[in-house]
Amino acid sequence: MEHKPVVLVEGLHKRFGAAHVLRGIDLAVESSRVVCVIGPSGSGKSTLLRCMAFLDRYDEGRVFIEGRLLGYREVDGRRVPDSDRNIDSVRSVIGMVFQHYNLWPHKTALGNVTEALRVVKRLSRREAEAIGMETLAKVGMEEKANAYPARLSGGQQQRNAIARALAMRPHVMYFDEPTSALDPELVGEVLEVMQELAGEGMTMVVVTHEMGFAAHVADEVVFMDEGEVIERGSPDDVFKRPRSERLREFLDTWRARTI
Amino acid sequence: MSFDIDIMFRYGPLLLSGLWTTVHVCALASLLAVAAGLGVSVLYGLPMRPVKLLCRAYIEVMRGTPILTLLFILYYGGPSFGLTLDAELVGIIGLGLYGGGYFAEIFRAGFESIPAGQLEAARMLGIPRRLVVARIQIPQMLTLIIPPSTNQVIILVKESALLSIITVAELTKNTTQMVNETFAVVEPYVAVALLYWLLIEGIALTGGALERRFGYAS
Repeated sequence: MEHKPVVLVEGLHKRFGAAHVLRGIDLAVESSRVVCVIGPSGSGKSTLLRCMAFLDRYDEGRVFIEGRLLGYREVDGRRVPDSDRNIDSVRSVIGMVFQHYNLWPHKTALGNVTEALRVVKRLSRREAEAIGMETLAKVGMEEKANAYPARLSGGQQQRNAIARALAMRPHVMYFDEPTSALDPELVGEVLEVMQELAGEGMTMVVVTHEMGFAAHVADEVVFMDEGEVIERGSPDDVFKRPRSERLREFLDTWRARTI
Repeated sequence: MSFDIDIMFRYGPLLLSGLWTTVHVCALASLLAVAAGLGVSVLYGLPMRPVKLLCRAYIEVMRGTPILTLLFILYYGGPSFGLTLDAELVGIIGLGLYGGGYFAEIFRAGFESIPAGQLEAARMLGIPRRLVVARIQIPQMLTLIIPPSTNQVIILVKESALLSIITVAELTKNTTQMVNETFAVVEPYVAVALLYWLLIEGIALTGGALERRFGYAS
């Protein structure tokens, strides 16, 4: 069988009106690898992740998920938007975690996790709740199963959101600045869950400002600025031997802030 | 002038029958208004320009014309385009469509107050659009819109007094009849004010109870 990366991004361009926010991004995420995307605010890293999920449509280039083109179909060499159904199908192997958790406030922690199991996978309530409890336990949230999001701390909400994505058994997890909205003392519990996932071999793409996490957990670190990948490599390469001035500046700023 | 409590009892049955008409006409009109409003607000959210424009037109016409004009058009104008309706039915349809315009705006505001991120999360999990509406948006929206909806139903009940003009034997119409027959003015209108007030207090209490019942941990 031909080898295919879980996620393959080729020559990706994205414009919001006159703003050219992604300028030809290439990225390959192999199975069981953790890729961390870092860069200053406005560098396009979140937009990249959103385009890789087709939450934002990209203008040029291609995103393949397990070899299948995401968001578009090619008809006689021309590109046309794909149907929602096909997009859902290609996307079904992606689990996504957002900066602001995006839990549904009218459902309990368990309800948030079981919702898609019930209506997308059409499991019975019992099956869905069994998987739901198991997944909540995995993120240390089984005791909060019946709590509504408003009663959970930020860290608990984000772990709940991770469980919601995990319950669907994704092949790759996207994290869009998962700890940026958290109080500093709550960041650790979320990173711990993510680190555990990485340890189990989950394929992950993480857009983050947590340099420590990137340094310890990533297999590859990608540094973006102004819509381009400036540098990429192992955490050691990127953090200890930056080659570009921009990355050096970025790391200096970050170090100055963390002391 | 003395306050004649006796005629209140004599005319009690007439007033109560009027109250009953008001109650059931308003109940049906409210159901129609909520259904029309919900339908229009859901259609409004679809990415189709002509549909959006039609919804907008409906809302603007309903909000932009007095309810009495709408009732006259339906009741007196109806027959000239082959629509002969019973006065009570005109009342239900008129108040319902009229209220629908307002409910549509209440629901639309409710839909728009749900953060886009919640819908993106649903999309990423592959939940089909119609289920996102039914299971994520509508339940949350209902909680948000209970207070303004209660208000809207109260307004609808007060507007129903206008149905007396198109001969519906509701509370105000029967009160007028009582005035005409007894030449008493104070007693009938005090009685009717009290009945409307009780009815509206009942609606307000129900609204409050619904709010407590459906308000999720906030």
